[in-house]
Formats: sequence, C-alpha cells, structure tokens
Amino acid sequence: MKFVRMAGLLGLVLACGAARAAAPAESEVANAEEAITKVRAAARFLHDKGSSAYSDFNQKDSKWVWKDSYVFVYDCRKDRMIAHPLRPDLVGKPILQVTDNSGKYIFKELCKAGSEPRGGWVEYSWPKPGAGRLSRKVSYALAADVSFAAGIQVSAGIYDENITMPELNKVLEKMSDPAKYPAL
Amino acid sequence: MAEQKLGNPAVVGLAGFGLTTMVLQFHNVGWMGLGPVVWLGLIFGGLAQMIAGLQEMKSGNNFGYCAFTGYGCFWIALVLLLLGNHYNIYTSSKTDVGWFLVAWTMFTVILWIGSMRVSSALALTFTLLLVGFVLLDLAHFGYPDLTVVAGYELMVTAAMAWYIMAHLIYADLFGRDVLPVGKPWIA
Repeated sequence: MKFVRMAGLLGLVLACGAARAAAPAESEVANAEEAITKVRAAARFLHDKGSSAYSDFNQKDSKWVWKDSYVFVYDCRKDRMIAHPLRPDLVGKPILQVTDNSGKYIFKELCKAGSEPRGGWVEYSWPKPGAGRLSRKVSYALAADVSFAAGIQVSAGIYDENITMPELNKVLEKMSDPAKYPAL
Repeated sequence: MAEQKLGNPAVVGLAGFGLTTMVLQFHNVGWMGLGPVVWLGLIFGGLAQMIAGLQEMKSGNNFGYCAFTGYGCFWIALVLLLLGNHYNIYTSSKTDVGWFLVAWTMFTVILWIGSMRVSSALALTFTLLLVGFVLLDLAHFGYPDLTVVAGYELMVTAAMAWYIMAHLIYADLFGRDVLPVGKPWIA
C-alpha cells in the first residue's frame, strides 16, 4: 500500500515536471515590453555610472538577466562585445562579422537599428538559453550615452516564433508615448 | 659663489599635462581602455603636474602657478570621479561629468586669454585646449560622436604642450633656442 502511494506521488511529480518542460509557464517567457523596459533601464544605468557599470552586465545573477532573456552591451565603433552575461567567451571579441545561419550580420543590423533615436528591433537566429538549439530571436537595440565613449549600445531580445515586426514596432510606438511611459 | 641653477617646473608640468592628455585621447578615439588613463592621470597628470604648479610659486610665475596646479587637480578629480563611479561613492552621471567639464572650460577661457600674453606656442596650445573642452562639452550634451573629434583635436593639444616642453629643455641643453615658441599674440 505504501509502495503504491509512493509510486503515485512519484508519478505526479514526473507528470508535473514533464508538463513544465513541454510548455514553460507564461511568466517564464520575456515579452517585447519587458525587453524595451530592461534595455532603457540599462541605457539609463550606463549613462548614470559610465564605463564602470559594464561589469554588472557580465553577472548571471544580476537584474539584467530575467526569465529567458538578458541584456548585452557592445561597442559599435570599436567593434567589440563589452558585456554578455551568458557568453563570457564573446566578451572583448569583434562582433561586426558575426552572422546567423541565414548569413545575416547580426551586429551590423543591431548597430543600425540602435542608432535610431528610439532604437529598433532586429530579427535573427540565436541559441535560446537552456534550449541548445537556434531559435528565432528579435532584439531591441538602443544607444547608451556613456562618458568618454561613443558607439555604445545595449540590447535584449525575446524568443518568439510568431510575433511580426509591425507588431513589435507598435509596442515600441506605444512605449514611446511620454504620457503613458515617462522617461526613465 | 655662483648662484645655484634652478630647473623650470614648467617642463614637468607640460610633460604631465601632455602625456596624460595624450593617453585619454587614445582612449577617446577607441585605441585603448581607461585603465592606464586612471593611473597616469593620478600620478603624472595629477600629482606631478600639481607639484610642478606649486613650485611655480617660487619662480614668481602666476600663470604657471594657476594653470599647472589647476590642471593637476583636474586630473586627480577626474580620476577620483571615475573611481567613485566604480565603487559607488558619489557617482557622477554623464550629465554630471558634462557640467564638470563646462566649469573647466570656463576656467580655461580665462587662462586662454592670459596665454596670449606669453607666446604664440602657448596661445595656440590653449586655443586647441579650449576647442577640445568645448567639443567634449558638446559630446556630453547630445553629440556623443564629438568625443572622437575631440580625441584627435586634443592629441594635437598634447603635442603642442610637449613642443613647449621640448623648447625649454633643448634651449637649456643646446645653449640656444632650437624650437622657437614665437611672439605673444597680444603685445
């Protein structure tokens, strides 16, 4: 009897685990609004603390890593990855020649989008944290104003197979309304 | 007994000013990080230039006394400001650094006018320095790309400071004026 109860409990635990793995809860998937909010907060943080803030973005357990996403910092003028919480191997390396599997120059596109006054979205393939395979990633890039530096940008992306660029631009449009979203 | 020969503190002041200004520009144009700037700024651009400035008092040179001590303190303050940001002690935002530079720009205007009474080379150095400060001010208030322009412009400023340093040292060593500094702009 005891064994049956144990087995039942074990089965329940396994079933829950399988369900979690198959479909992550909604709260574990970062959305477009969060990406924009995090990137803007990161740009503000870099403006306030200057280059000494770079190292914060290399920490896995900082507030710049959340749900299934994270903020990364790069220098478009010096062609260098400045900080990346999950890929320390990329930090300090050139970025502009990095392509995804379709041949898209990811950072050239990010640098272009990020230099727009409001920043912008770029779509590419990138491994999703923990998934071990390439996923469709759409990242929001924005220039960061850092003392004694030019060309610094911050980005964060969402892993979404379906969301379209017009939808993402609509979110950005909505979040650029100063009445609803006051400047950070 | 012959009077003991004294060195001119300006050679050290100009050396520290020039070298530290030069490495900050190497950073501003993107050739290197801020690490060496911090330590050189503290010791050569800061401490050595400030001591050289204080030594100018005895030579009766008010311009050098104010300029070298002032810019020596500029470097020490800038370095402490960067370290403060790193250690979260009175952090300075980019806007704060911008206003810090604006104040130094105003200070430089006063010395720039004074420099015109000294020599062409010094007046040119201060003109370039003033332009550099204005470019850095603008870089901190909406035109970040000007950091790079200021970088190249201030490298020329640093080279000019070294030219005057070389003028003083060579005049002493060669016994004649090898590198002339020219007449004052305002006679």
